[in-house]
Amino acid sequence: MAAVKEIKSKDKHIQQLAAIVGGGRSILYQKEDLLAYDCDGFTIHKHLPKAVVFPKDTQEVAALVKYCHEHDLPFLARGAGTGLSGGAIPLNEEVIISMVRMKRLLSVDMENRRAVVEPGFVNLKLTNSISDKGYYYAPDPSSQYCCTIGGNVAENAGGAHCLKYGVTTNHILGLEVVMPNGDIIEIGKDGVADEPGYDLLGLITGSEGTLGIVTKIVVRILKNPEAKQTVLAYFDKVSDGSQAVSDIISSGIVPAALEMMDKTAIEGVEAAAFPVGHPKDIDAVLLIEVDGISAGIDEQIDEILKVCRNRNVREVKVAQDEAERGRWWANRKTGFGAMGAISPDYLVQDGVIPRSKLPVVLDRINQISHESGLRIANIFHAGDGNLHPLVLFDARVPGEIEKALEAGSACLKVCADVGGTITGEHGVGIEKREEMRFVFTEEEIAAQTDVREVFNPKNLLNAGKLFPSPGRCVEVKKEMKASVTP
Amino acid sequence: MSLREMDLNQDPACATQSLSNYLPKDHPDENKWADCVHCGMCLESCPTYEITGQEQHSPRGRVHLIKSVAEGKLELNQFFSEPVFACLDCRACTTACPADVDVGGLIEEARGQVRQAIPLTGWQGAVSKLFLKGIFPKQTRLNKLGGLLKFYQKSGMQTAVRKTGLIKIMPDHLVEMESIMPEIKQPVREKYKNQTVIPAKGETKQEVAFLTGCIMDVMFSDINEATINVLTRNGNEVTIPKNQGCCGALHVHAGDRDTGRMLAKQNIEAFKDADKVIVNAAGCGCMLKEYPELFPDDPEWHEKAEEFSKKVEDISKHLHDTGYEKPKAEINKRITYHDACHLAHGQGIRQEPRDILLDIPGVEMVHMPNSDRCCGSAGIYNITNPEMAGAVLENKMANVPDDVEMISMGNPGCMLQMAIGVQKYGRNQEIVHTVQLLDWAYQKEDGKGDL
Repeated sequence: MAAVKEIKSKDKHIQQLAAIVGGGRSILYQKEDLLAYDCDGFTIHKHLPKAVVFPKDTQEVAALVKYCHEHDLPFLARGAGTGLSGGAIPLNEEVIISMVRMKRLLSVDMENRRAVVEPGFVNLKLTNSISDKGYYYAPDPSSQYCCTIGGNVAENAGGAHCLKYGVTTNHILGLEVVMPNGDIIEIGKDGVADEPGYDLLGLITGSEGTLGIVTKIVVRILKNPEAKQTVLAYFDKVSDGSQAVSDIISSGIVPAALEMMDKTAIEGVEAAAFPVGHPKDIDAVLLIEVDGISAGIDEQIDEILKVCRNRNVREVKVAQDEAERGRWWANRKTGFGAMGAISPDYLVQDGVIPRSKLPVVLDRINQISHESGLRIANIFHAGDGNLHPLVLFDARVPGEIEKALEAGSACLKVCADVGGTITGEHGVGIEKREEMRFVFTEEEIAAQTDVREVFNPKNLLNAGKLFPSPGRCVEVKKEMKASVTP
Repeated sequence: MSLREMDLNQDPACATQSLSNYLPKDHPDENKWADCVHCGMCLESCPTYEITGQEQHSPRGRVHLIKSVAEGKLELNQFFSEPVFACLDCRACTTACPADVDVGGLIEEARGQVRQAIPLTGWQGAVSKLFLKGIFPKQTRLNKLGGLLKFYQKSGMQTAVRKTGLIKIMPDHLVEMESIMPEIKQPVREKYKNQTVIPAKGETKQEVAFLTGCIMDVMFSDINEATINVLTRNGNEVTIPKNQGCCGALHVHAGDRDTGRMLAKQNIEAFKDADKVIVNAAGCGCMLKEYPELFPDDPEWHEKAEEFSKKVEDISKHLHDTGYEKPKAEINKRITYHDACHLAHGQGIRQEPRDILLDIPGVEMVHMPNSDRCCGSAGIYNITNPEMAGAVLENKMANVPDDVEMISMGNPGCMLQMAIGVQKYGRNQEIVHTVQLLDWAYQKEDGKGDL
């Protein structure tokens, strides 16, 4: 390959990588240009990549990967960089392969209810592109305004409406994947679900970018529900709110979404850009949505109102129109970012617990907050027990980052101890590697890294993510501490 | 594993409390970036991120870099200057941001730093000095320039330039601009120079002062005229304070905060007797409302600026809030509305102009998708960053519905840029200011005008 003229680097790898993507604006390699890529939505660890390349198609991705594979260069794929567990942070001076320029909607097949997208295509854009025909894409992580479907596949992203409709993996029909050696494979060709043999789609989805780089995705699209109703309920006591959640589920209703925020979270969203006037002195707000065919929706709403009243709800109301519903959801979905209004930094955790343990777990989290001296806001997908404690801290105060990390980890320990697990939808990434030991033995972890070996034998692709390094526990913790920065 | 020296972040957290690589004067406000938690909700709102896909050309990436300078990780050099100046300052990110991060304010402060550290030289320096210091702040020179342009159009020179091929040696974006230049008429400040007060027609409901704007009054004096007509027709007694000047937005956008401050003081003084300052250019209105930002360390002027900024109102909001007569004549046109960034994102004014249009009988409003997406005008951005501005315009034009006859908006910069778009992409929409349409409807009702 000929060297690219305008590239100022003498590094032959940079020259070659530039040649693959056509140089110019398709590669960043100077230190200052790389600064903006030193972290993703998880900002506690920051590391500079070797370079960032912007391929335009699968062939370029394959060529880049092949080059990295042959020259032992660590590399990883990055979407919009909104991940909350650090999956796209270049721990090993990786070459970042940014997928954002592969952002086309390739085809929509209404008859078979599927769409084919490139990995850089933004989640919400899919729904926006097909909504006029009465269809939508169900997985709706709160970052759906800007996160990419490729990233959603890597993290097996969830979202508010996954209670009824399932997470990303339930909506993936086929993938084109560039393997860590540069080979291009297709899984679930033609988007026919449930191919015989092992469920490779399920394995790749949620593998956090450690098994391959997805370059094309066939997703399921759904018909818009005929009717939709949304309820907001304010509770003076968290325990009443959580009991209401349990009662709704045990009444047989499967809400499309069942969300909860606690007092500190409410303070945040009300101080931020999309307030809706939640009372500040309540302990919990529930946002409940039911959808489906029109018949029966009103009965479900009546039942939900009844349940809430039985659990001492202070006030409960049904959204009067789409605009009001939209405001309630904007308030909820921007909840994480809203913490910026009441705290300079936050760390979000992602535990999953049996619903019945909610009051106990919230008490324990409260305790952790008192012990650490840091405020913790709770936003969660109450319906499926997916808890997001947001540890609020100020990175400029010496020692607060470490305290926040400890508090976050303690929250996950609580979740694991009550029979839950350490991540529902944000992934393990860098953040929760050590916490994997809360739920898996060394042998179980080794079994999983053996699977990775099959796909990614050189471990050049997104190394150091998802699993703790065996037997290096202490050392890794020390290194983690050393790299902790604002 | 290598969590080692390539980790740039050895500085202790408290490093951000010093100025680090910033110059002491006018350094960016730390509290503004402390609000940003790097969530990325701003990404898709940003036109330059949409085009480049690069973090440093996104709002959170720019905030990250602004913070990095304070942390000593980045110097005030071209790696900082490029992303900071490639920002359109369209403020769409501030609408999208869950934490209300004032990205626009940070960008302007950062630009001030860059200009202190690396003053513009060569061609760019000369052009910037000529326009920002030599012409915009000086109304007489602007009027003379207007006179020259008028001469250019009327004398046959325009025809000659276009026919002789002289135009071919001009850069593309200047050719585009030349071709859509509106017909230059008499500025209202000239016209009313001997008239201190323009009385309301009928009963006087309130007294307002009118900011005529610098370019607005030269290039779009007919819109200023329409604004005065609409105001007086609806019970406003209008004064045009003599000592007013350019609002300074272009200077502040370009990082020249000193001239910005000078102009701010001039306007605060000029309008000190006014209860209300009416503006018909979104960019100017937004700037006037943000004057306090220019005086963080000057309590006296900060307070004056605070007081002044409360008096500023966009014409559409003023009409909406104080009431206006609904026109009776019909204007049978299919119209779409473009949200000027500094109206929608900068001032939160979205519905008021649309309501005005809907109150004109015969008007059929057609929805424009992503109507609050920047058109690429962005002050003098289309002159300084023609390539990016062109790409932004292309995306904008793709959203303009095919079958409309007019595109209405509330900002002169957008009007020029959209006119370029219409011409460049072979469209045939007429570009109008919202107030102009209302005025035309009134004129028609009175048996005048030709719509």
